[in-house]
Amino acid sequence: MALRIAVHQVRFTALHAVGLVTLLSGILSFLVISQATRELGRFGATDYIGTLIVVAIVRELGPLLTALVVVGRSGTAIAAELATNQVLGEVRALEAMGIDPKQYLVLPRFVGSLVSIFALLVLFDFVAVMAGFAAARFNGMPGARYFDIVLESLRARDVWLTIFKALAFGAIVGIVPSYFGLAARPAPTEIPIAASRAVVAAIVGIFLCSALFVALG
Amino acid sequence: MTIPHTPLPLVFDAIPLAHVAQPFSLEVPERHTVVVLGDEDAGIGLLGGYALGLERPTSGRALVFGTDIASLPEPQRLAFRRRVGYLPSGDGLLQNLSIRDNVALPLRFGSSASPRDIEGRVNVMLTAVRLTAVAAQRPAQANEEERRRAALTRAIAFDPALLILEQPFDGLTARVASELLEFARGGESAEGARRTIFITGQEIPQVILRRVDRVYRLTRPGVLEPETV
Repeated sequence: MALRIAVHQVRFTALHAVGLVTLLSGILSFLVISQATRELGRFGATDYIGTLIVVAIVRELGPLLTALVVVGRSGTAIAAELATNQVLGEVRALEAMGIDPKQYLVLPRFVGSLVSIFALLVLFDFVAVMAGFAAARFNGMPGARYFDIVLESLRARDVWLTIFKALAFGAIVGIVPSYFGLAARPAPTEIPIAASRAVVAAIVGIFLCSALFVALG
Repeated sequence: MTIPHTPLPLVFDAIPLAHVAQPFSLEVPERHTVVVLGDEDAGIGLLGGYALGLERPTSGRALVFGTDIASLPEPQRLAFRRRVGYLPSGDGLLQNLSIRDNVALPLRFGSSASPRDIEGRVNVMLTAVRLTAVAAQRPAQANEEERRRAALTRAIAFDPALLILEQPFDGLTARVASELLEFARGGESAEGARRTIFITGQEIPQVILRRVDRVYRLTRPGVLEPETV
């Protein structure tokens, strides 16, 4: 049953967000690389496009925007859902049945968020690189040269940093809204309050965590 | 030869139900059905939570089979609660699960039985309370009576020796209430009902009050008076 919740969470958080993440990633990357190809081309510095794609988009903006999309869609849903469980007395009923609400309600959402953010981040980065390719071609750069530049800029450390960020942001999205949802007092007016607090706290947490990665990296 | 001492199924020992009030004490003997009536101001809604250790009283203690559940460490506390059936006021069914899954939930999480055995047991229970037709529906799609039947069925999923029922008959007809009470008791033996039942509520149908062993009224916090039926 917990597995079913986790699968549902992945479906809602990852699968239903595929369109939005693809759109955001594609437009962002296309705009940035189009502008960069034109401006850097004037100085003969188009090689920096690779750094721009890898550092700015794949390593920094990718995890950040993916996490913000997931917080906006699923963080609110998790907080509102758990607050509703609390308001309707379902959390109390679970405890009375000897079922740990953290195990039944939080753990599947936590796992679902981790898996979803990781999957969406892979998608975001893939679309960003491909949209960058389209933008580079559109602005007259040969496709092979674009991929050479990107691959030259990519280090193993970038890949690891992106993976760690995905896991850290996934944990924030899974835990923070769950905490605020379960902390709701048993009154219907608490549901929107819990959702709102959860989103604000999760966004702050994601930015702080991102800053921490930059500071440590 | 010494006769082993069997602790009472449920004991409330000097629990305050309000800041300045007489402490509440009550013993529920084995195989008895005991009803405590009263309104929220008298603290009637607190008793179930104290018994199950969901809330901790500021003083005194609630003992279930001689154990103060609230004082147990978390894993033991959760495990111990599986020995007690609980029907909270407002049924407490999970809205995103079907009635069948709600009934199966405690068995899936709290027993080592195989999915096939659980499925079989759930089918038997649903048939016994005539819920087979609505088993696939969500609680919101079922009516009040069906939801109460489902919640009671879930409460007795582990066949507990003690049942705690909060406002179990609100909104039900006397006939349905009687039927549910019989189902909750689990049949009769020479020693009495198979289960010990503790019922709290603001009011309970007269037909039910005539069929239970003891009825008390909580006139104000801590003050318990026998109710004349």
